[in-house]
Formats: sequence, structure tokens, C-alpha cells
Amino acid sequence: MRTGRRGVEGSIVGAAVMAALTLAMLPVRTHLSVATTALVLVVPVVAAVVVGGLSAGLFAVAAGFLVYDLVFIPPYDTLSVGASQNWIALVVYVAVMLLVASVVARLESTRAETHQREQAVRRLFELTDLLIEDRPLPEVLELIVSTVHDAFGLRSVALMLPVGPGLEVVASAGEPLSEHQQRAVAPSPGVPASLRSAAVGTPDDFQTVALAATGRPIGLLRIGGPAPGPHGQELLRTFANQLALALERAQLREQALRTELLEEVERLQRALVRAVSHDLRTPLATIKMAASTLHDDGVAVGPSERSELVRLIEEQADRLDRLVTNLLDVSRMESGALEVHTEPIAVVDLVQEALGGRRRLAGDVPVTIAVDRDLPLVDVDHLLVTQVLANLLDNAARYAPPGTAVTVSGRRGDPGLVEVAVEDGGPGVPRAERGEVFALFSRSGSGGGTGVGLSIARAFLAAHGQRIWIEDAPGGGARFCFTLPVAAVAAVAP
Amino acid sequence: MARVLVVDDDQALLRALRIGLGALGYDVVVAGTGAQGITQAAMASPDVVVLDLGLPDLDGLEVCRRIRQWSEVPVIVLSADGTEDRKIAALDGGADDYMTKPFGMGELEARLRVAQRHRAAEGDAVTAKELAVGPLELDLVHHQVRMAGEPVELTTREFALLAFLARHAGKLCTHRMILDEVWGPHHGSQTDSLRVYVYRLRRKLGDEDGTFLRTHPGVGYQLVTEPG
Repeated sequence: MRTGRRGVEGSIVGAAVMAALTLAMLPVRTHLSVATTALVLVVPVVAAVVVGGLSAGLFAVAAGFLVYDLVFIPPYDTLSVGASQNWIALVVYVAVMLLVASVVARLESTRAETHQREQAVRRLFELTDLLIEDRPLPEVLELIVSTVHDAFGLRSVALMLPVGPGLEVVASAGEPLSEHQQRAVAPSPGVPASLRSAAVGTPDDFQTVALAATGRPIGLLRIGGPAPGPHGQELLRTFANQLALALERAQLREQALRTELLEEVERLQRALVRAVSHDLRTPLATIKMAASTLHDDGVAVGPSERSELVRLIEEQADRLDRLVTNLLDVSRMESGALEVHTEPIAVVDLVQEALGGRRRLAGDVPVTIAVDRDLPLVDVDHLLVTQVLANLLDNAARYAPPGTAVTVSGRRGDPGLVEVAVEDGGPGVPRAERGEVFALFSRSGSGGGTGVGLSIARAFLAAHGQRIWIEDAPGGGARFCFTLPVAAVAAVAP
Repeated sequence: MARVLVVDDDQALLRALRIGLGALGYDVVVAGTGAQGITQAAMASPDVVVLDLGLPDLDGLEVCRRIRQWSEVPVIVLSADGTEDRKIAALDGGADDYMTKPFGMGELEARLRVAQRHRAAEGDAVTAKELAVGPLELDLVHHQVRMAGEPVELTTREFALLAFLARHAGKLCTHRMILDEVWGPHHGSQTDSLRVYVYRLRRKLGDEDGTFLRTHPGVGYQLVTEPG
């Protein structure tokens, strides 16, 4: 269609130039020699060929013949030719024009083809550049088909890759493949699919290009539309090889990423198992040690030591229970089953609940409660916040040196908030580690342990829309602070 | 009265151990960090060290290696994660024994006794011409072996293997320790070959059920000094 339109355009241009030149020469035609006008009439023919190709050129030659004969060869306005040398001029004009038209047309088409090939090569080079970049596979595939589609001016391009037992279109550009065309390369039941055999069939104006890298079939490129010329075919083949390599590279990269991810998951799982077993066995070690000492009749244990061993067993059993609760909470949070049921409650009640009536923490660490008396009620889920406090107290007790106390304090914070803090006299947390302390499975500096308590504290507070952070305690230890929302009723009934 | 140094960051376990071991007649010294542990190992001159691997400041393996640089005190390593590679690393790093938490008082006491005894015996074994481990007698000069009084014929390497285990009687020897010593430094990794030698030794010693020459799967072997 395009060549036809070009022909018409060329013919119009030829006719227009011819008309213009003829009108220009008409007033002076009697003064011009027959040869001069013939030379001038070369111009419209060349113009027509350049714009419209050979067909427009032939039209211009015919028109030029008529105009030359009728207008410029005497006797004017008739087809008859007077002098015999005028006959020679006319014949030579037509012959030369035909030659000029064919030569210029051939030059033009070569130029156009070269231009097109250059365009294609440039696009392919650009694509090669893009393929080197680190892009995800689906994007690479889309890029490939759209470039082939544009570079070769095709009607449709589809890239088919082996998916499961058959071939599937993974990316396409232009008209989509019809059901029938897809079936043509799809394997039939019971017949093993082979990229190699599928590459042979070329029904209607479709062409199938096999993509193979390092001797291994990678996929198929199915193209529909005007078949590229011999140069185009060569280019297409080179391009197909490039494609195959790029595809293989992308596939290998995806594979490597997947393997890396799997390894990371496995590493985390191992860390989890190790950490959980560490945290479970630590209290168990004390329980078993104390119980076996009590159990052994041959061991002389005094009454006060006996009662301390019993107390240790109880205390460590509680610790174990809290750990199990925490681990269950982790799995509850992971399954998204965490619900927050808030009600107004006093901070001091939360602290008492967390202590479970104790005045001393595990390891015989004393607790000081310093909650402001006029503190408003807070609107929280008491189960969750009690767990937060218990975990923070547990953590503080673990790092409190013998002879020091742990302090729980509560005071007004920013408007609408109460600030609660748990403070110990331990070594404190270095500024750089303060973020990581709340991450799962990181007990700072220790050889194991899940650190699950702190990460749960953070998660539970986040569920209330509140935050937790670490400060330096005035005495040099760690101070874990968190905020709680003031209950609305507090303003009405203090 | 034997003095035990316990290095563990878990205060509760320290107290339980202090009471339990104290009741058994041990003099108990405790340390809550690796650094304290190293200091106490030098200052308190303990007869045995019980060392937890998961310490807050230093890796327990590192503590063990540092103590080993200047002291031959027996070290029993405790771990709560019980992974085999940590166990092997601890033993290769100079620990005498390894226990996974939790453990009972009876087990700990038995290990403490063995550790002290074989460390004392090891001191003598360096210069000894004859060794006796339970029913086994070894003449290191004439390469003669008697099991329950009966002479046993051994090849050179079988004898070398048995002599190595007898010199470290009671101690769990890792594959690497045995291979380094008996097969030499360029042994590659002939664990399979070691397995075959142990199998033959057991047959010759009449210990097919492995109660005397005990296997610790994946870790190493041990000549048992006290039954049960």
C-alpha cells in the first residue's frame, strides 16, 4: 500500500514541476531551441523518481513526452512532428528519460534499503546495550519483542519459551497470535515437544526463528508480516543469536537469585532453630540442675539452700512459660491473628500485673516502682502491654549487675501520651546497636538467644500505634522507654 | 577440696550450680563474662573449668583457646544449642569434654571426676612406659597389649591408635585430633579409614558392642575409664 501511495505522490510532484516549468518557458518557447527545452524537462522526471520511485518516473516520462511534443516541438499544439531533427530530439528525450528514471529509481531504492538496514542495526545495537543492563526477565522479554517488531517493520512478533511441557507465548508485540497459530507450535498430547522440530514449519506468512545458545534450544521467535529481504534475514539470524545468549544469561541470573534467596531462608531458619533451642534450654538447665541436686539423697543440702533451689525451679519455669508465650505470639503475629482490645487501665496496674505480685525479678533483682500518682488512665490492651512490660523487666533483670535494682517509671509525655520506662544499672546499649536490639534473633553481643522478647515488645506497641526506644539511664545503664495513649475517659473522671 | 570455676552468663544456673556443687564438696568460683572467666582461671587456679559457649562478651571458644595458651586446666564446655560443629570446634580448640544443656547433677559430677582424673593421668602418660585403662594394659616400649590379661596382636597403626586413646583415656578425642596424631599431618581426611581401624580394634579387644571404645557419632572416639 505504501509503495502505491508513494507512486501517486511522486506522479503529482512530477506533474506539478512539469506544469511549472512549462508555464515558465511558454512565453519564450519560440526563442528556445528544441534541445534546451528537452534538457529542462529532465528535471520533473528526476523529481518524480526521487519522490515516487520508478512508477512515478514512468508516468513523468510519458507526461514529459506529451508536453514536449505538444508544447515545445513545432508545429505547436498537435502531435505531429515537423522537422525530422525534431523527431530525433523527441526519441532521444524519451530514451534518455527512461534510462534516467530507471537508474535514479534503483539508486533510490538502494538508499532507502540501506537506511532501513542502518535503522535496524542501530536499534539492535541499542537493544544489546539494554540487555547488558541488569533487568528482570519479563522486562527483557518485552524489550526484545518490541525491538524486533519495530526494527524489521513486522506485523507481529511473539517470543515463545518452554513452560512446563509445552511452549508458551511469554511476550508479544503487534497483532497477537491466533489460536490456530499458537497450536501450530504447541505440542500435541503424547508427542514430546521439541524446539528443533517446531522450527521447521513455516505456515502462511509466518516465520519461526529458533533461538539456541551453547547448543541448547532456548525458545522460538515467531514473526508475521512482510518477510525481511536477504539482508534482513541475515540480520535477523545474528539478532536471534544475540537474543538467545541474552535470554540464557537472564535465565541463569534468575536461577542464581533464587538459589541465593533459598540459601538465605535456610540460614535464617537455622539461626531460628539455634536461637530457640538456646533460649528454651537455658532455663531448663537450671531447672534440671536444681531438681537433680534436690533429688540426689547423697548430696547434703541445707534447708535454706533447698528452698532456694525450689525457688529457682519455679522462677525458671515462669521464664520458660513467658518464652513459650512469646514464641506463640510471634507465630500469632506472623499469621496476622493479633487483635488489640483496648480498655482504660492504670499504668501501675499494668506494672503489678507484669510483676505477678513479685517484688524481685529473676536472679533476685529488686524492682523499684516509680509511677507518678496523678498519671491518667491509658487506653490499651492490658494483655499485650503486660507482656511488653514483662519482657522489658526480664531483659533488664538479665543485664542488671548483682546488687543493683531495676526501676519502672511512668510519667506524662507529649500531649495525650504517657511515657513508661524500664531502667537497669547494666552496661547499657551502645548507640549503634539500639536499632538492632529490637530485631528478631539478635540478643546483643551474646552467643545465642532469640531476643524475641524485645521484638515482641516493639510489635505489640506498634499494634497500639505507639513506639519504643532506648536511652542512656542516668546511672549509665539502659533505659527502655515507650509511649501509651491516654484514655479519653481520663479527662472526665480523674 | 577441688575447686571448680563456672563461667556462664545465666545467673540462675550459676546459683543452682553453686549450691549443687557446693553440697558435693566442691569449692565453687563463678564468673559471669568471658573476660572475668579468663581472669579467674588465672587468679583462682581452679582444678576444673566449666565454660558456657554463649557468653555476652566473648565467644566461649575464644575463652577456651586463651586459657589453653598458658594453662592445662581441664575445660568442660557447656552449650545450649547442641550443634555438632560447635562441639567439634570446642574439642579441637582444647576443651576436654562437652555437655549440652540441660544436664543433671549426677552427669556433671561424673564428667568433672573424669576430667580431673584423665588430666592427672595424661601428665604421667607423657613419660610412662606402661599404661592401664580399665581392663586394658599397654606396654609402650615393646608394643604389647593385654586385654583382661589376654595378649592381643595389633598392627603398628592399630597400636598407635589405641595408645593415643589410652594416653587421653576418658577424654573425647575428635576425628581430627586422632588423624593428626596417628595418621600424621598430611592425612587428608581419612575418617573412613579411621572407622575401619576402630572396627578392627574393637573386634580384637572383644569390645564389639562399643562400651569400652565408645563412638560419639560425627565427633570422635573415647576410651571409657569408668563404666556406666
